[in-house]
Amino acid sequence: VFFISLSLSLQLVPLIGFISVGLGSAVLYLLRLALYSPDVSWDRKNNPEPWNKLSPTDQYKFLAISTDYKNLKKDRPSF
Amino acid sequence: MANHSQLGFQDASSPIMEELMQFHDHALMVALAICSLVLYILTVMLTEKLSSSSVDAQEIELVWTILPAVVLIVLALPSLRILYMMDEINEPDLTLKAIGHQWYWTYEYTDLKELTFDSYMVPTSDLPLGHFRLLEVDHRVIVPMNSKVRVIVTADDVLHSWAVPSLGVKTDAIPGRLNQTAFLASRPGVYYGQCSEICGANHSFMPIVVESTPLANFENWSSLIPS
Repeated sequence: VFFISLSLSLQLVPLIGFISVGLGSAVLYLLRLALYSPDVSWDRKNNPEPWNKLSPTDQYKFLAISTDYKNLKKDRPSF
Repeated sequence: MANHSQLGFQDASSPIMEELMQFHDHALMVALAICSLVLYILTVMLTEKLSSSSVDAQEIELVWTILPAVVLIVLALPSLRILYMMDEINEPDLTLKAIGHQWYWTYEYTDLKELTFDSYMVPTSDLPLGHFRLLEVDHRVIVPMNSKVRVIVTADDVLHSWAVPSLGVKTDAIPGRLNQTAFLASRPGVYYGQCSEICGANHSFMPIVVESTPLANFENWSSLIPS
């Protein structure tokens, strides 16, 4: 039941706020995984194995605590 | 290893385990705060006269919406930080494989030469005086201290789990699958762990012993192995 009276809806703001932040970040992270994760392939014809297209300096994780991905030096053979 | 009446963690021997211990202290403090608050409110409820004249509950509703959300955020942020930190690619100096069998471990050091050995528990009947029962093995996992070690864990038959609590490491050994974990032993020492996934009759009798030693000793040991 959604209270329309002014004083009552003000009290519901934190509740709505925290729940939207929580649900919103869950949905947004799911979307990020679906669209940007290298393990997910939507187009089987044109992009069948996106995990093969990563370079050593790609950061595909959400957070990087102490690894500086852009300056990461990787000597490995290029095929 | 753990003492008989030990309640807390073993001393941390790797940076990750230190982080985990700090987080545990942090979470325990949050839990203590919540428990004290609840106990206090309970005491007040039970000892005061009931004298509320209104059924209006707006302020308390505000408090018990915001406070739990804050608690969750305060717990989630350090937790996620450590989670991502544990998962980082760290350019290991040494890679070794731990393969679980029923009921022993096989370790393979194949970076330079081929070094493979089995690690069985020392039976209690053969245990020298003063050694740790059900924890000692015949061949320990020797690693150089202060070096990033990567362990690739798998199993040969059933599920096992390679765990060394002091290093903050526990990784399931799944047949047909390679799981990777990493650690850095910050000081020389001997670290004990036990198989952490039920695997049959002798599940409790296939321990893991990691011995970290200065690099010179490690190289000496690995060069002594006949190739």
